Amino acid sequence: MYRYDTIDKDMLADRTAEFRGQVARRLAGELTEDQFKPLRLRNGLYLQLHAYMLRIAIPYGSLNPVQLRKLAWIGRTYDKGYGHFTTRTNLQFHWIKLADAPDIVDALASVDMHAIQTSGNCIRNVTADPYAGATAEEIDDPRVWAEAIRQWSTVHPEFNWLPRKFKIAVTAAARDRTAAKTHDIGLNLKRSRDGTLGFEVMVGGGLGRAPHIAQTIRQFLPATRLFSYLEAILRVYNRHGRRDNIHKARIKVLVATLGREAFASQVEAEWEKIGQTPDLPDHELARIRGAFAPMSFATLPPVSEAFEAAKLGDPALARFARNNLKPHKVAGYSIVEVSLKAIGATPGDMTSDQMDVVADLAEAFGQGDIRVTHEQNLVLPHIKLDDVAVVWARLAKAGLATPNMNLVSDIIACPGLDYCALANARAISVAQHIARKFAEPDRAERVGELKIKISGCINACGHHHVGHIGILGVDKKGEEFYQLTLGGSGAEDAAVGQALGPALPYDKVADAIDTLVDVYLRERHDGERFLDTFRRTGVAPFKEAVYADVD
Amino acid sequence: MKALTANRLNDGEVVFWRKGQWVEQFADADLFADEDPAAEAAEGHAKNQPGVVVEPYLIDLVESAGLWAPLSYRERIRALGPTNLAHGKQTRGGAAIEALLHAHGAARSSGRVDLIKRK
Repeated sequence: MYRYDTIDKDMLADRTAEFRGQVARRLAGELTEDQFKPLRLRNGLYLQLHAYMLRIAIPYGSLNPVQLRKLAWIGRTYDKGYGHFTTRTNLQFHWIKLADAPDIVDALASVDMHAIQTSGNCIRNVTADPYAGATAEEIDDPRVWAEAIRQWSTVHPEFNWLPRKFKIAVTAAARDRTAAKTHDIGLNLKRSRDGTLGFEVMVGGGLGRAPHIAQTIRQFLPATRLFSYLEAILRVYNRHGRRDNIHKARIKVLVATLGREAFASQVEAEWEKIGQTPDLPDHELARIRGAFAPMSFATLPPVSEAFEAAKLGDPALARFARNNLKPHKVAGYSIVEVSLKAIGATPGDMTSDQMDVVADLAEAFGQGDIRVTHEQNLVLPHIKLDDVAVVWARLAKAGLATPNMNLVSDIIACPGLDYCALANARAISVAQHIARKFAEPDRAERVGELKIKISGCINACGHHHVGHIGILGVDKKGEEFYQLTLGGSGAEDAAVGQALGPALPYDKVADAIDTLVDVYLRERHDGERFLDTFRRTGVAPFKEAVYADVD
Repeated sequence: MKALTANRLNDGEVVFWRKGQWVEQFADADLFADEDPAAEAAEGHAKNQPGVVVEPYLIDLVESAGLWAPLSYRERIRALGPTNLAHGKQTRGGAAIEALLHAHGAARSSGRVDLIKRK
């Protein structure tokens, strides 16, 4: 894992001292709220319904146990004993006092963390494949490039006041676990026939009011030229992005308006001006790459007899293994998914005690490596198969072993109207109702992969547009209603969902999901996921069933 | 009826106006009749306290179980705490909290008086 050097630490010390001064001046009445608001937002501090919210960056979703324990301590000391992981792999504390915020950012800085660029019209936290360094699918370790982008984009003077916020994802596997095509820039690492490393560059994805799937503007960008090319894209955007209209200010609107080819040719022209010098010095790349050097894995047989025997003796462990374990690139190891979606719990919420449990497990069994996924779960990427049973038992004791990864109760939900000042409707309680309906694990497994994503407003933090079933909370004459969309995907087969029909009232949503699942089970062919069946049948049978029930 | 609400500057807590002070429970808030000029006067006083509260505004109320509750669910969530976990103001319990929990009906999305005019 990358550790901060003196440059990182000095920059952060300056920023935390500056922030402490800003908060003191606000509390002393020397700054008005209008003056202070942009300053606190630059440091990830929002004022929401019940309290201040601090959004902490977790670059490419990567944490070590010391950091996770510090987050646990902050939750216990300054919040109500928990935090909330977001679809940007950040962590939000929802009960923060302004007067405590400077001490919290100091505590974060002590473990190389901060809340800078988690808000505002700048390059936000870079996300990457949560299986990086553990999956055999990857071409290269995407964390190397995500870390380089983090360093390049942090307080980058030219790109600190963009027309609108800007999100970048890096993946290196054919199977996309980053929702790359919903990003302003999605980077997909590839290797050419001669072995050269490069990126497919996808631009103009985004959700919100007007969802767009990113378009490829370069099939293969040599990796050595990544930063000059990113610079060219951002310069074109900075120059032509719609600063006059917040709803049209994202790069997705610029790309859609100009068209992919015209946008790409402007980028190429800008890139020409920058010149041909390699833009990330080899020694810098080597330094960063060194922080992600392959770990020392033991030589183990591909099958653990102890684990196989344990599974035979415990159906609950066997179920966990079926749903929450993923193949590791090294024989005898496994990627372990830690579910933050216990039935009836708040998606993405984690108590301080649970954070300590995962930190301990990562330290004892997982090479000190923890990842956050954009689907609001955690991953222990390097667990020996021999250790899975004990890890599972300790996760289960802490309420973290729900065997539901990618199943119907593994729901993304934004904080919605329960916390967020922008929301129109609740998202969490809708997720809770749906999860309870599918609490019976055999049924959930029979249904198979089904990604439900819920947003409490059109800003789409819950990624509803790309849910296999998407749910958007709207305000209809002052009451909570929910628009359902079907057939979206945030993965490599990215697509925006199709509207099912008129919005449903709050108390009808979970029943409607039940009906949609019944239609799928009735219509599906062998091996089809919900998404596949929908793509084959279209919306008609689903629509007919849901609105027949509603009537 | 109306009440005056804001978030307290130093901790973000939801607060309500009561006789020139800010209190944390809606049940303790001053209630103003719809045409009572004291409501706007209180809002005016509150706006002159930028070092105490952030963005004070009047909210509409509705009768519930013989008591008054904020008209919109957004304002009821502010007065009660989040609905996913009972760890907000609702933990105090009592008749006033029950009235808020059972209130329903909202004519305006925010329950905030003059929202459109303000925007």
